[in-house]
Amino acid sequence: MPRLEEAQKYIELATQNRGEAYAEGDTVFITIPPDRLVDVADTIFNKYNCSFRVCAGVDERPLKGHFSLVHLFTDDRAGCYIAVKTYLSGDKPVAPSIVSVVPAADWCEMEARDLLGIEFTGRETHRLVLPPWWPYNLYPLRKDAPYNYRPEPRVESEKVGHSPEYGVIPLGPYHPTLHEPEYFELYVEGERVVDVKYRGFHVHRGIEKLAESRMNYQQVNFLAERICGICGFVHSTCYALAVEKAAKLEVPERAQFIRSIVLEVERIHSHLLLLGVAFHLLGYDAGFMHIWRIRERVMWLAELLTGSRKTYGINLVGGVRRDINEEKKQKALEALRELSSDFKSFIEVAMSVPQVKKRITGTGVLPREAAVKLSVEGPVARASGIDKDARRDLPYAAYKYASFKVPVYTEGDNLARVLVRVEEVFESISIIEQLLDKLPGGPVLLTDFEIPEGRVGVQVVEAPRGGDIHYVITGRGAPYRWRVRSPTYANIPALRVMLKDQPLADASITIASIDPCFSCTDRVLVIRDGRVEVMRLAPVVK
Amino acid sequence: MPLKPLKLLVIAGRRGRVTVKYPYKEPIVTPEFRGEVEIDPAKCIGCGACVKACPPNALEIVESEREIILRYFVGRCIFCWRCVDVCPVGAIKGTRNFELATDKYTDLYTLVAHSRVTCEACGKPVETTRMRRYVVEKVQVAEEYVYLCPDCRRRVFAERVSARRVGSSELEEQ
Amino acid sequence: MKRSIWVFHLNTGSCNACDIEVLDVLTPFHDAERFGVKLVTSPRHADAILLTGPVTAESLPKVINAIEAVPRPRIIIALGSCGCGGGIWHDTYSTIGGVNKLLEILKERGIVVDAVYYVPGCPIRPEALLYAVASIKGIVSKKREMKIYKAE
Repeated sequence: MPRLEEAQKYIELATQNRGEAYAEGDTVFITIPPDRLVDVADTIFNKYNCSFRVCAGVDERPLKGHFSLVHLFTDDRAGCYIAVKTYLSGDKPVAPSIVSVVPAADWCEMEARDLLGIEFTGRETHRLVLPPWWPYNLYPLRKDAPYNYRPEPRVESEKVGHSPEYGVIPLGPYHPTLHEPEYFELYVEGERVVDVKYRGFHVHRGIEKLAESRMNYQQVNFLAERICGICGFVHSTCYALAVEKAAKLEVPERAQFIRSIVLEVERIHSHLLLLGVAFHLLGYDAGFMHIWRIRERVMWLAELLTGSRKTYGINLVGGVRRDINEEKKQKALEALRELSSDFKSFIEVAMSVPQVKKRITGTGVLPREAAVKLSVEGPVARASGIDKDARRDLPYAAYKYASFKVPVYTEGDNLARVLVRVEEVFESISIIEQLLDKLPGGPVLLTDFEIPEGRVGVQVVEAPRGGDIHYVITGRGAPYRWRVRSPTYANIPALRVMLKDQPLADASITIASIDPCFSCTDRVLVIRDGRVEVMRLAPVVK
Repeated sequence: MPLKPLKLLVIAGRRGRVTVKYPYKEPIVTPEFRGEVEIDPAKCIGCGACVKACPPNALEIVESEREIILRYFVGRCIFCWRCVDVCPVGAIKGTRNFELATDKYTDLYTLVAHSRVTCEACGKPVETTRMRRYVVEKVQVAEEYVYLCPDCRRRVFAERVSARRVGSSELEEQ
Repeated sequence: MKRSIWVFHLNTGSCNACDIEVLDVLTPFHDAERFGVKLVTSPRHADAILLTGPVTAESLPKVINAIEAVPRPRIIIALGSCGCGGGIWHDTYSTIGGVNKLLEILKERGIVVDAVYYVPGCPIRPEALLYAVASIKGIVSKKREMKIYKAE
């Protein structure tokens, strides 16, 4: 619950700007006319220092006759969500862009433009998500577009970009250092990287549209889990929590504890994965093999608790499907003790290897002001001096019963990002031990409930890579609109700052140090013009 | 310290060999693991509850004039076991089998074929034999409706309601 | 075939769970290098392609280029629910629906694929991939067969 005076200032802000507002639970819902949008966004982001999370376009023509645009902010000091909504009229809606005051809103506005056809004034736009040959006026997320209509795909490939004064090095889409298809074009002068162009969204699969059409509420949990294979349980939990918040369901406490325990198991596995991959990219393959040997114990633990090594599939709206009995608890505690001592003795050795230490100290620096303007998330933010963690600021599931420390460093280079993750592994082990100790009794699944239509739920969950936000509007039997913004979406625009003026050889370790998860980023589809175009990152830091 | 990285050899020596030599030895699989599902043809009634619950449409119902076929395609299965949760008679059971690799596409299908019963009024094929028997055994049904197809049920119900309204016995004799 | 198989990992838009299990097969616990399997960095050196993901519309031209670069005989090992049948999103607007549709498109362009193997799972266990490699080399025989039952 936010403190009453904190929520009050947002409600006053809305009424001063000819709008209306009300607070429900821990969310403040504001509706304002479109011409006041830039001023309100400026006040909330710059004066009250909230983080910007995402903007979502919604086709509400069957319900209210207009399109609408929702901007989601979170006030981390007070612990509340702020949803700012405007209604846009007509079949070709136009909205003012807030990029001049909130630079972090760059990508999500272009996504709304590509998927729904909302035009933005006050900024330059280009296609973001869909392939270049997609027909121009087919907007997949509008309610009258079918989810399974496939235009004829183009099979010829495009040419690499061209520059008269710099050398062009294409990195991807299939490259030994990358696990996913994404395309970086590095413009180099000698050994220094001068500019970066990014063409991504190869992993766009049409998930948001699929959830509205073919699926029902319980099936979307399994769909959400497969948005990303490494942080899948986060998406599934966040969706379930958002729907439960919208429908005001009383989920049993034991289920929330089990969700938190499995979330922390996933955090350990994800950080160990990244550390192993980082060592591999630096050339220290022995470190890669040892860390992944240590990580096998975590996969075995996950299989014991949930039934599958990855994509656990135990979340449902209303609780979880599996329980933890006394025998499993003892096995889990023993495995964690072994893991903790193993990892501790190994990481001391690994961090003293000279090639590791020298290559990651002082490279890929992200200064604090740029990090705040871009609203980066997770270990990237904590390594640049921003003290932000959704488990402590906006507590969800069972985190209010555990006490833990949030590591913050100020240098902002690759070494700081690695150290933040190492400390978080030890904190996660401690959280799991505390929660297993305090596990309450009772059922684990709520079976008899109804989900009413037309409610809104917003939820942020701290994934291993940062804060993941889901926005759900409930419909009949299936969500009416579901918007997912994963943390890598906010971290990729920071790459332009981190790669500038750095030697070329550090490019791959810098890209890997933000722990990119492109399958989380790309779930949406964007359509492009007939021209072949490579996406440009909006200029943030001049 | 220049010698600290060499401590790795001590750690490696202490661990020893960790490889599990599968397929010559048994792999490490916990008892909770979710593998393939198996359909018991003696219990399945062809109701389609599993088809409605399956997220990737790995279980599908294929209809023809005389048969309703439940088709399970392992290739698209996501091993979530929602079908096991919702089956009313417990005909689908989970196994721990994951050794499913093959080079022929048709090896990945399992088919269970049910015969259909027909409507007593119009003769259209309706549901499976077992489903009708299951409904009759479990629920108190009205005799005049259970052996008809949904269209004929609506028609007969409307006629009875209008006969009661009009109140004429000639309509009932027809 | 009894030789050692060098594989190239091709991610056509998957969620990455199968991809990290592919990396896991090469770590000391499961150790695919006992069978001679090595991960190569370019398709021109590869014997087989490990295909994960439903082929998305955006990555289709790049996948075709990568498969064309593999020298004959070409083997494709389709991993997981997405590779074998298109996955949970087999009919959305942004995917083309799994490896079978990809084979049709390749046939139209004259690119011959000599053998295709299917490994179901979501995500696949590392042991399932080892089973597939062992059955390609002839060490074990395949177990899954088509079953047709007649209920009354």
